[in-house]
Amino acid sequence: MSGSEAPRASAVTVRQEDVRRLCDFLYRRTGMLFAEDKRYYIDRRLEERIAATGAESFQAYFALLRSDADHEIQYLVNAFTVNETYFYREEHQLRCMTSDLLDDIVQRKPVGETIRIWSVPCATGEEPYSICMWLMENFSRVDSYNIEIVGSDIDTRALKAAAEGVYGKRALMRLPQGLVDRYFEKDGPDKYRIDAGLRNSVTFTAVNLVDSQGMAQHRDFDIVFCRNVLIYFDDASRRLAAENLYDCIQPGGYICLGHSETMSRISPLFNVCRYPDAIVYRKPVREHD
Amino acid sequence: MPFVKSNAPANTGPARRDMGADVAHLQSGDLETRWNAARALGGCAEAVPALAAALAAEHAPQVREALATALLRVGNEASVAALIPHIRSPDAALRAIAIEALQALPDATRPFMQRLLADDDMDVRILALELLRGMPAAEATRLACGVLEREQHPNVCAAAIDVLAETGTPVAVPVLRACASRFAGTPFIPFAVSAAIARISAES
Repeated sequence: MSGSEAPRASAVTVRQEDVRRLCDFLYRRTGMLFAEDKRYYIDRRLEERIAATGAESFQAYFALLRSDADHEIQYLVNAFTVNETYFYREEHQLRCMTSDLLDDIVQRKPVGETIRIWSVPCATGEEPYSICMWLMENFSRVDSYNIEIVGSDIDTRALKAAAEGVYGKRALMRLPQGLVDRYFEKDGPDKYRIDAGLRNSVTFTAVNLVDSQGMAQHRDFDIVFCRNVLIYFDDASRRLAAENLYDCIQPGGYICLGHSETMSRISPLFNVCRYPDAIVYRKPVREHD
Repeated sequence: MPFVKSNAPANTGPARRDMGADVAHLQSGDLETRWNAARALGGCAEAVPALAAALAAEHAPQVREALATALLRVGNEASVAALIPHIRSPDAALRAIAIEALQALPDATRPFMQRLLADDDMDVRILALELLRGMPAAEATRLACGVLEREQHPNVCAAAIDVLAETGTPVAVPVLRACASRFAGTPFIPFAVSAAIARISAES
Protein backbone atom coordinates (compact mmCIF):
# COMPACT_ATOMS: atom_id res chain seq x y z
CA MET A 1 0.00 0.00 0.00
CA SER A 2 1.19 3.43 -0.72
CA GLY A 3 0.51 6.82 0.72
CA SER A 4 0.56 8.32 -2.74
CA GLU A 5 -2.35 6.24 -3.98
CA ALA A 6 -5.37 8.23 -5.05
CA PRO A 7 -7.89 8.27 -2.22
CA ARG A 8 -11.00 6.21 -2.74
CA ALA A 9 -14.11 5.77 -0.69
CA SER A 10 -13.81 3.48 2.29
CA ALA A 11 -16.57 1.09 3.30
CA VAL A 12 -15.27 1.01 6.85
CA THR A 13 -17.56 2.41 9.54
CA VAL A 14 -15.92 4.94 11.82
CA ARG A 15 -17.54 5.47 15.23
CA GLN A 16 -17.39 8.50 17.45
CA GLU A 17 -15.14 6.63 19.85
CA ASP A 18 -12.74 5.82 16.99
CA VAL A 19 -12.55 9.47 16.01
CA ARG A 20 -11.74 10.39 19.59
CA ARG A 21 -8.93 7.84 19.73
CA LEU A 22 -7.51 9.07 16.46
CA CYS A 23 -7.68 12.71 17.59
CA ASP A 24 -5.93 11.84 20.85
CA PHE A 25 -3.24 10.05 18.91
CA LEU A 26 -2.78 12.95 16.49
CA TYR A 27 -2.60 15.38 19.37
CA ARG A 28 0.04 13.40 21.24
CA ARG A 29 2.18 13.01 18.14
CA THR A 30 1.84 16.46 16.54
CA GLY A 31 0.07 18.87 18.91
CA MET A 32 -2.67 19.35 16.30
CA LEU A 33 -6.04 19.48 17.98
CA PHE A 34 -9.23 18.59 16.15
CA ALA A 35 -12.44 19.13 18.08
CA GLU A 36 -15.48 16.95 17.55
CA ASP A 37 -17.20 19.76 15.67
CA LYS A 38 -14.69 19.03 12.88
CA ARG A 39 -16.10 15.55 12.52
CA TYR A 40 -16.79 15.82 8.79
CA TYR A 41 -13.27 17.06 8.10
CA ILE A 42 -11.77 14.30 10.22
CA ASP A 43 -13.96 11.53 8.77
CA ARG A 44 -13.12 12.39 5.18
CA ARG A 45 -9.39 12.30 5.75
CA LEU A 46 -9.52 9.22 7.91
CA GLU A 47 -11.62 7.36 5.35
CA GLU A 48 -9.12 8.35 2.65
CA ARG A 49 -6.25 6.90 4.64
CA ILE A 50 -8.15 3.73 5.55
CA ALA A 51 -8.93 3.21 1.87
CA ALA A 52 -5.36 3.98 0.77
CA THR A 53 -3.90 1.45 3.21
CA GLY A 54 -6.50 -1.20 2.52
CA ALA A 55 -7.27 -1.61 6.20
CA GLU A 56 -10.47 -3.59 6.80
CA SER A 57 -11.53 -1.83 9.98
CA PHE A 58 -10.68 1.20 12.02
CA GLN A 59 -8.97 -1.08 14.54
CA ALA A 60 -6.79 -2.54 11.80
CA TYR A 61 -5.91 0.92 10.56
CA PHE A 62 -5.19 2.19 14.04
CA ALA A 63 -2.86 -0.73 14.74
CA LEU A 64 -1.03 0.05 11.50
CA LEU A 65 -0.84 3.70 12.48
CA ARG A 66 0.51 3.01 15.94
CA SER A 67 3.22 0.77 14.57
CA ASP A 68 3.95 3.46 11.96
CA ALA A 69 4.04 0.79 9.28
CA ASP A 70 5.08 2.28 5.92
CA HIS A 71 5.35 5.75 7.54
CA GLU A 72 1.59 5.91 7.95
CA ILE A 73 1.83 8.58 10.64
CA GLN A 74 3.41 10.96 8.15
CA TYR A 75 0.78 10.17 5.52
CA LEU A 76 -1.97 10.82 8.02
CA VAL A 77 -0.38 14.13 9.08
CA ASN A 78 -0.10 15.08 5.43
CA ALA A 79 -3.81 14.36 4.95
CA PHE A 80 -4.74 16.52 7.92
CA THR A 81 -2.71 19.60 7.04
CA VAL A 82 -4.14 22.37 4.90
CA ASN A 83 -1.90 23.59 2.14
CA GLU A 84 -3.94 26.04 0.12
CA THR A 85 -2.18 29.38 -0.13
CA TYR A 86 -0.97 31.81 -2.80
CA PHE A 87 1.89 34.13 -3.66
CA TYR A 88 2.09 37.52 -1.91
CA ARG A 89 -0.52 36.46 0.64
CA GLU A 90 -0.61 39.01 3.50
CA GLU A 91 1.52 41.34 1.41
CA HIS A 92 1.46 43.98 4.16
CA GLN A 93 3.83 41.81 6.19
CA LEU A 94 6.25 41.54 3.30
CA ARG A 95 6.11 45.34 3.02
CA CYS A 96 6.78 45.61 6.75
CA MET A 97 9.77 43.30 6.35
CA THR A 98 11.49 45.60 3.86
CA SER A 99 10.29 48.95 5.18
CA ASP A 100 10.98 48.34 8.88
CA LEU A 101 12.28 44.97 10.05
CA LEU A 102 15.31 44.69 7.78
CA ASP A 103 16.29 48.31 8.47
CA ASP A 104 16.58 47.39 12.11
CA ILE A 105 18.32 44.08 11.46
CA VAL A 106 21.00 45.51 9.14
CA GLN A 107 21.94 48.05 11.78
CA ARG A 108 23.32 45.13 13.78
CA LYS A 109 24.85 43.31 10.81
CA PRO A 110 27.89 44.48 8.85
CA VAL A 111 27.55 44.39 5.06
CA GLY A 112 28.39 40.92 3.74
CA GLU A 113 26.91 39.04 6.69
CA THR A 114 24.01 36.64 6.39
CA ILE A 115 20.38 37.47 7.01
CA ARG A 116 18.33 34.38 7.82
CA ILE A 117 14.60 34.21 7.13
CA TRP A 118 12.34 31.26 7.95
CA SER A 119 8.92 30.44 6.59
CA VAL A 120 7.26 27.87 8.84
CA PRO A 121 4.93 26.26 7.95
CA CYS A 122 5.70 26.91 4.29
CA ALA A 123 3.10 24.51 2.80
CA THR A 124 3.86 24.14 -0.92
CA GLY A 125 6.42 26.94 -1.03
CA GLU A 126 4.41 30.01 -2.02
CA GLU A 127 5.53 31.95 1.03
CA PRO A 128 9.31 31.40 0.93
CA TYR A 129 9.35 32.08 -2.82
CA SER A 130 7.23 35.19 -2.23
CA ILE A 131 9.84 36.36 0.27
CA CYS A 132 12.58 35.85 -2.33
CA MET A 133 10.66 37.78 -4.98
CA TRP A 134 9.73 40.55 -2.62
CA LEU A 135 13.33 41.00 -1.51
CA MET A 136 14.55 41.04 -5.10
CA GLU A 137 12.00 43.70 -5.96
CA ASN A 138 11.91 45.82 -2.81
CA PHE A 139 15.01 45.47 -0.63
CA SER A 140 17.51 48.07 -1.82
CA ARG A 141 20.43 46.34 -0.07
CA VAL A 142 19.62 42.91 -1.37
CA ASP A 143 23.05 42.60 -3.00
CA SER A 144 24.93 43.74 0.11
CA TYR A 145 24.04 40.71 2.19
CA ASN A 146 23.93 36.98 1.94
CA ILE A 147 20.33 35.98 2.45
CA GLU A 148 19.32 32.48 3.54
CA ILE A 149 15.71 31.50 3.18
CA VAL A 150 14.43 28.29 4.73
CA GLY A 151 10.96 26.87 4.23
CA SER A 152 9.77 24.19 6.65
CA ASP A 153 6.62 22.18 7.13
CA ILE A 154 5.42 19.07 8.92
CA ASP A 155 3.92 17.81 5.64
CA THR A 156 6.63 16.11 3.58
CA ARG A 157 4.32 15.84 0.58
CA ALA A 158 3.92 19.62 0.58
CA LEU A 159 7.69 20.05 0.88
CA LYS A 160 8.25 17.88 -2.17
CA ALA A 161 5.81 20.04 -4.13
CA ALA A 162 7.52 23.17 -2.81
CA ALA A 163 10.88 22.00 -4.07
CA GLU A 164 9.37 21.25 -7.49
CA GLY A 165 7.89 24.75 -7.55
CA VAL A 166 5.04 24.16 -10.01
CA TYR A 167 1.83 26.14 -9.44
CA GLY A 168 -1.57 26.66 -10.95
CA LYS A 169 -3.04 30.00 -11.95
CA ARG A 170 -4.88 30.37 -8.67
CA ALA A 171 -1.66 30.52 -6.66
CA LEU A 172 -0.45 33.38 -8.87
CA MET A 173 -3.65 35.43 -8.69
CA ARG A 174 -2.15 38.26 -6.59
CA LEU A 175 1.03 38.65 -8.64
CA PRO A 176 1.37 41.42 -11.22
CA GLN A 177 2.00 40.03 -14.70
CA GLY A 178 5.48 41.54 -14.69
CA LEU A 179 6.49 39.38 -11.75
CA VAL A 180 4.99 36.28 -13.33
CA ASP A 181 7.01 36.98 -16.48
CA ARG A 182 10.16 37.61 -14.49
CA TYR A 183 10.08 34.71 -12.03
CA PHE A 184 8.05 31.95 -13.66
CA GLU A 185 8.19 29.84 -16.78
CA LYS A 186 5.23 28.07 -18.39
CA ASP A 187 5.08 24.42 -17.48
CA GLY A 188 2.10 23.10 -19.39
CA PRO A 189 -1.49 24.32 -19.62
CA ASP A 190 -2.23 26.68 -16.73
CA LYS A 191 0.91 25.57 -14.93
CA TYR A 192 3.84 27.77 -14.03
CA ARG A 193 7.20 26.78 -12.61
CA ILE A 194 9.16 29.11 -10.41
CA ASP A 195 12.47 30.23 -11.85
CA ALA A 196 15.37 27.82 -11.20
CA GLY A 197 17.39 30.56 -9.53
CA LEU A 198 14.72 31.05 -6.89
CA ARG A 199 14.11 27.33 -6.56
CA ASN A 200 17.74 26.84 -5.73
CA SER A 201 17.69 29.71 -3.25
CA VAL A 202 15.37 28.13 -0.73
CA THR A 203 16.22 25.22 1.53
CA PHE A 204 13.24 23.07 2.49
CA THR A 205 13.19 21.05 5.69
CA ALA A 206 10.64 18.96 7.58
CA VAL A 207 9.84 20.25 11.03
CA ASN A 208 7.23 19.83 13.74
CA LEU A 209 6.77 23.01 15.79
CA VAL A 210 6.16 21.10 19.01
CA ASP A 211 9.19 18.83 18.61
CA SER A 212 11.86 20.65 20.61
CA GLN A 213 14.61 18.34 19.39
CA GLY A 214 13.79 18.86 15.72
CA MET A 215 13.32 22.58 16.21
CA ALA A 216 16.74 22.78 17.87
CA GLN A 217 18.26 22.15 14.46
CA HIS A 218 16.83 25.44 13.21
CA ARG A 219 18.58 28.37 14.84
CA ASP A 220 19.62 32.01 14.50
CA PHE A 221 16.84 33.35 12.30
CA ASP A 222 16.42 37.10 11.98
CA ILE A 223 12.82 36.93 10.77
CA VAL A 224 10.32 34.09 11.08
CA PHE A 225 7.02 33.98 9.25
CA CYS A 226 4.79 31.63 11.20
CA ARG A 227 1.32 32.29 9.94
CA ASN A 228 -1.98 30.62 10.63
CA VAL A 229 -0.73 27.52 12.37
CA LEU A 230 -0.63 28.28 16.09
CA ILE A 231 -4.38 28.86 16.05
CA TYR A 232 -4.82 25.14 15.40
CA PHE A 233 -2.91 24.19 18.55
CA ASP A 234 -4.30 23.87 22.03
CA ASP A 235 -2.86 25.90 24.92
CA ALA A 236 -0.18 23.41 25.89
CA SER A 237 1.09 22.93 22.34
CA ARG A 238 0.98 26.64 21.62
CA ARG A 239 3.14 27.35 24.65
CA LEU A 240 5.65 24.72 23.62
CA ALA A 241 5.69 25.90 20.00
CA ALA A 242 6.17 29.52 21.12
CA GLU A 243 9.12 28.53 23.29
CA ASN A 244 10.61 26.45 20.49
CA LEU A 245 10.25 29.39 18.10
CA TYR A 246 11.80 31.72 20.67
CA ASP A 247 14.91 29.55 20.70
CA CYS A 248 15.10 29.65 16.90
CA ILE A 249 15.22 33.46 16.68
CA GLN A 250 18.21 35.73 17.19
CA PRO A 251 17.88 38.22 20.06
CA GLY A 252 16.24 41.24 18.45
CA GLY A 253 14.78 39.07 15.69
CA TYR A 254 11.13 39.13 14.65
CA ILE A 255 8.24 36.75 14.26
CA CYS A 256 5.25 37.52 12.01
CA LEU A 257 2.00 35.71 12.74
CA GLY A 258 -1.20 35.48 10.73
CA HIS A 259 -3.59 38.42 10.89
CA SER A 260 -6.02 36.53 13.10
CA GLU A 261 -3.39 35.55 15.65
CA THR A 262 -1.78 37.48 18.47
CA MET A 263 1.33 36.39 20.30
CA SER A 264 0.13 38.11 23.47
CA ARG A 265 -2.41 35.33 23.83
CA ILE A 266 0.15 32.75 22.85
CA SER A 267 3.16 33.69 24.89
CA PRO A 268 4.52 36.64 26.84
CA LEU A 269 8.01 35.85 25.60
CA PHE A 270 7.96 38.41 22.79
CA ASN A 271 7.46 42.17 22.68
CA VAL A 272 4.77 43.62 20.45
CA CYS A 273 6.03 46.00 17.72
CA ARG A 274 3.51 48.11 15.86
CA TYR A 275 4.67 49.22 12.43
CA PRO A 276 2.64 51.08 9.80
CA ASP A 277 2.12 47.93 7.74
CA ALA A 278 1.86 45.22 10.39
CA ILE A 279 2.02 44.22 14.01
CA VAL A 280 4.91 41.84 14.59
CA TYR A 281 6.61 40.33 17.62
CA ARG A 282 10.21 40.76 18.64
CA LYS A 283 12.48 38.64 20.77
CA PRO A 284 14.04 40.92 23.39
CA VAL A 285 17.67 41.81 22.81
CA ARG A 286 18.45 41.67 26.51
CA GLU A 287 16.77 40.15 29.55
CA HIS A 288 14.35 43.01 30.11
CA ASP A 289 14.49 44.73 26.73
CA MET B 1 21.09 36.25 -6.90
CA PRO B 2 21.92 37.35 -3.37
CA PHE B 3 20.48 34.20 -1.87
CA VAL B 4 22.69 31.54 -0.36
CA LYS B 5 21.64 28.01 0.38
CA SER B 6 21.22 27.22 4.02
CA ASN B 7 22.80 24.02 5.24
CA ALA B 8 19.99 21.53 5.80
CA PRO B 9 19.93 20.50 9.44
CA ALA B 10 21.66 17.24 10.18
CA ASN B 11 19.45 14.52 11.56
CA THR B 12 21.50 13.89 14.65
CA GLY B 13 18.80 12.23 16.74
CA PRO B 14 17.91 13.17 20.27
CA ALA B 15 20.74 14.66 22.28
CA ARG B 16 21.36 13.02 25.65
CA ARG B 17 21.00 15.38 28.57
CA ASP B 18 21.96 14.98 32.15
CA MET B 19 18.86 15.55 34.25
CA GLY B 20 20.92 16.16 37.38
CA ALA B 21 22.89 18.87 35.63
CA ASP B 22 19.72 20.45 34.28
CA VAL B 23 18.20 20.48 37.77
CA ALA B 24 21.33 22.17 39.11
CA HIS B 25 21.21 24.70 36.27
CA LEU B 26 17.76 25.82 37.40
CA GLN B 27 19.63 27.65 40.18
CA SER B 28 22.16 29.29 37.84
CA GLY B 29 22.73 33.01 38.00
CA ASP B 30 22.56 33.13 34.21
CA LEU B 31 19.07 33.58 32.79
CA GLU B 32 19.75 31.69 29.58
CA THR B 33 21.14 28.72 31.50
CA ARG B 34 18.00 28.60 33.66
CA TRP B 35 15.81 28.93 30.54
CA ASN B 36 17.59 26.07 28.79
CA ALA B 37 17.41 23.88 31.90
CA ALA B 38 13.68 24.51 32.33
CA ARG B 39 13.11 23.71 28.65
CA ALA B 40 15.16 20.53 28.87
CA LEU B 41 13.23 19.29 31.92
CA GLY B 42 9.85 19.66 30.23
CA GLY B 43 7.88 16.44 30.58
CA CYS B 44 10.35 14.96 33.07
CA ALA B 45 8.22 13.69 35.97
CA GLU B 46 11.22 13.16 38.26
CA ALA B 47 12.07 16.84 37.96
CA VAL B 48 8.71 18.11 39.24
CA PRO B 49 9.96 18.98 42.76
CA ALA B 50 12.92 20.90 41.32
CA LEU B 51 10.74 22.68 38.76
CA ALA B 52 8.27 23.60 41.49
CA ALA B 53 11.01 25.00 43.72
CA ALA B 54 12.50 26.92 40.82
CA LEU B 55 9.12 28.41 39.89
CA ALA B 56 8.69 29.62 43.47
CA ALA B 57 12.09 31.35 43.38
CA GLU B 58 12.20 32.58 39.79
CA HIS B 59 11.62 36.23 38.88
CA ALA B 60 12.48 36.38 35.16
CA PRO B 61 9.16 36.22 33.25
CA GLN B 62 10.47 34.13 30.38
CA VAL B 63 12.02 31.51 32.70
CA ARG B 64 8.79 31.38 34.71
CA GLU B 65 6.98 30.65 31.46
CA ALA B 66 9.39 27.87 30.61
CA LEU B 67 9.08 26.37 34.11
CA ALA B 68 5.28 26.43 33.91
CA THR B 69 5.38 24.86 30.45
CA ALA B 70 7.78 22.19 31.74
CA LEU B 71 5.35 21.33 34.56
CA LEU B 72 2.45 21.42 32.14
CA ARG B 73 4.23 18.96 29.87
CA VAL B 74 4.54 16.53 32.76
CA GLY B 75 0.82 17.01 33.20
CA ASN B 76 0.31 14.71 36.19
CA GLU B 77 -1.17 15.39 39.60
CA ALA B 78 2.26 16.16 41.04
CA SER B 79 2.78 18.94 38.53
CA VAL B 80 -0.70 20.31 39.27
CA ALA B 81 0.10 20.20 42.99
CA ALA B 82 3.25 22.18 42.22
CA LEU B 83 1.33 24.85 40.33
CA ILE B 84 -1.60 25.27 42.71
CA PRO B 85 0.24 27.15 45.50
CA HIS B 86 1.06 29.90 43.02
CA ILE B 87 -2.57 30.85 42.54
CA ARG B 88 -2.27 32.32 46.08
CA SER B 89 0.82 34.32 45.18
CA PRO B 90 0.78 38.07 45.87
CA ASP B 91 2.52 38.36 42.48
CA ALA B 92 -0.25 38.78 39.88
CA ALA B 93 1.97 37.65 37.01
CA LEU B 94 2.80 34.42 38.79
CA ARG B 95 -0.88 33.84 39.62
CA ALA B 96 -1.70 34.30 35.94
CA ILE B 97 1.02 31.87 34.87
CA ALA B 98 -0.27 29.24 37.31
CA ILE B 99 -3.89 29.64 36.27
CA GLU B 100 -3.07 29.46 32.55
CA ALA B 101 -1.03 26.31 33.09
CA LEU B 102 -3.74 24.70 35.22
CA GLN B 103 -6.39 25.57 32.63
CA ALA B 104 -4.42 23.54 30.14
CA LEU B 105 -4.53 20.50 32.47
CA PRO B 106 -8.22 19.89 33.15
CA ASP B 107 -7.88 16.15 33.75
CA ALA B 108 -5.01 16.37 36.20
CA THR B 109 -6.60 19.36 37.95
CA ARG B 110 -9.94 17.59 38.48
CA PRO B 111 -9.02 15.82 41.76
CA PHE B 112 -8.11 19.18 43.31
CA MET B 113 -11.23 21.09 42.31
CA GLN B 114 -13.51 20.38 45.26
CA ARG B 115 -10.85 21.56 47.69
CA LEU B 116 -10.01 24.66 45.67
CA LEU B 117 -13.66 25.63 45.30
CA ALA B 118 -14.06 25.40 49.09
CA ASP B 119 -10.82 27.21 49.90
CA ASP B 120 -10.86 29.72 52.77
CA ASP B 121 -9.51 32.42 50.46
CA MET B 122 -12.23 33.97 48.34
CA ASP B 123 -9.75 34.92 45.59
CA VAL B 124 -8.65 31.30 45.30
CA ARG B 125 -12.29 30.21 44.96
CA ILE B 126 -12.81 32.75 42.18
CA LEU B 127 -9.67 31.66 40.33
CA ALA B 128 -10.63 28.02 40.77
CA LEU B 129 -13.95 28.73 39.07
CA GLU B 130 -11.97 29.90 36.04
CA LEU B 131 -10.53 26.40 35.77
CA LEU B 132 -14.00 24.99 35.20
CA ARG B 133 -14.19 26.61 31.78
CA GLY B 134 -11.87 23.97 30.35
CA MET B 135 -13.81 21.03 31.77
CA PRO B 136 -16.65 19.06 30.21
CA ALA B 137 -19.96 20.93 30.48
CA ALA B 138 -21.69 18.42 32.74
CA GLU B 139 -18.86 18.38 35.23
CA ALA B 140 -18.35 22.15 35.15
CA THR B 141 -22.09 22.59 35.73
CA ARG B 142 -22.10 20.21 38.68
CA LEU B 143 -19.15 21.89 40.38
CA ALA B 144 -20.33 25.46 39.72
CA CYS B 145 -23.81 24.59 41.00
CA GLY B 146 -22.22 23.18 44.15
CA VAL B 147 -20.52 26.53 44.68
CA LEU B 148 -23.76 28.46 44.14
CA GLU B 149 -25.59 26.29 46.68
CA ARG B 150 -23.17 26.94 49.55
CA GLU B 151 -21.30 30.14 48.72
CA GLN B 152 -21.92 33.21 50.88
CA HIS B 153 -19.89 35.80 49.00
CA PRO B 154 -21.66 37.48 46.07
CA ASN B 155 -18.44 37.95 44.09
CA VAL B 156 -17.74 34.23 44.14
CA CYS B 157 -21.34 33.53 43.15
CA ALA B 158 -20.99 36.01 40.30
CA ALA B 159 -17.91 34.15 39.07
CA ALA B 160 -19.81 30.85 39.23
CA ILE B 161 -22.77 32.36 37.36
CA ASP B 162 -20.39 33.63 34.69
CA VAL B 163 -18.97 30.12 34.24
CA LEU B 164 -22.49 28.66 34.01
CA ALA B 165 -23.47 31.25 31.43
CA GLU B 166 -20.66 29.91 29.26
CA THR B 167 -20.72 26.18 29.96
CA GLY B 168 -23.87 25.48 31.99
CA THR B 169 -26.46 22.86 31.10
CA PRO B 170 -30.22 23.14 31.85
CA VAL B 171 -29.77 21.36 35.20
CA ALA B 172 -28.22 24.59 36.47
CA VAL B 173 -31.37 26.66 35.98
CA PRO B 174 -33.13 25.89 39.31
CA VAL B 175 -29.85 26.40 41.19
CA LEU B 176 -29.35 29.74 39.45
CA ARG B 177 -32.90 30.81 40.35
CA ALA B 178 -32.34 29.88 43.99
CA CYS B 179 -29.14 31.89 44.02
CA ALA B 180 -30.94 34.93 42.57
CA SER B 181 -33.55 34.68 45.36
CA ARG B 182 -30.88 34.36 48.03
CA PHE B 183 -29.08 37.48 46.77
CA ALA B 184 -32.20 39.45 45.87
CA GLY B 185 -30.77 42.46 47.71
CA THR B 186 -27.62 42.43 45.56
CA PRO B 187 -29.04 43.53 42.20
CA PHE B 188 -26.17 42.41 40.00
CA ILE B 189 -26.68 38.77 41.04
CA PRO B 190 -30.32 38.46 39.80
CA PHE B 191 -29.26 40.37 36.68
CA ALA B 192 -26.36 37.97 36.01
CA VAL B 193 -28.62 34.98 36.73
CA SER B 194 -31.19 36.19 34.18
CA ALA B 195 -28.50 36.56 31.56
CA ALA B 196 -27.10 33.10 32.33
CA ILE B 197 -30.51 31.42 32.22
CA ALA B 198 -31.31 33.14 28.92
CA ARG B 199 -28.03 31.88 27.47
CA ILE B 200 -28.51 28.32 28.75
CA SER B 201 -32.13 28.22 27.55
CA ALA B 202 -31.15 29.49 24.11
CA GLU B 203 -28.62 26.69 23.71
CA SER B 204 -30.72 23.85 25.08
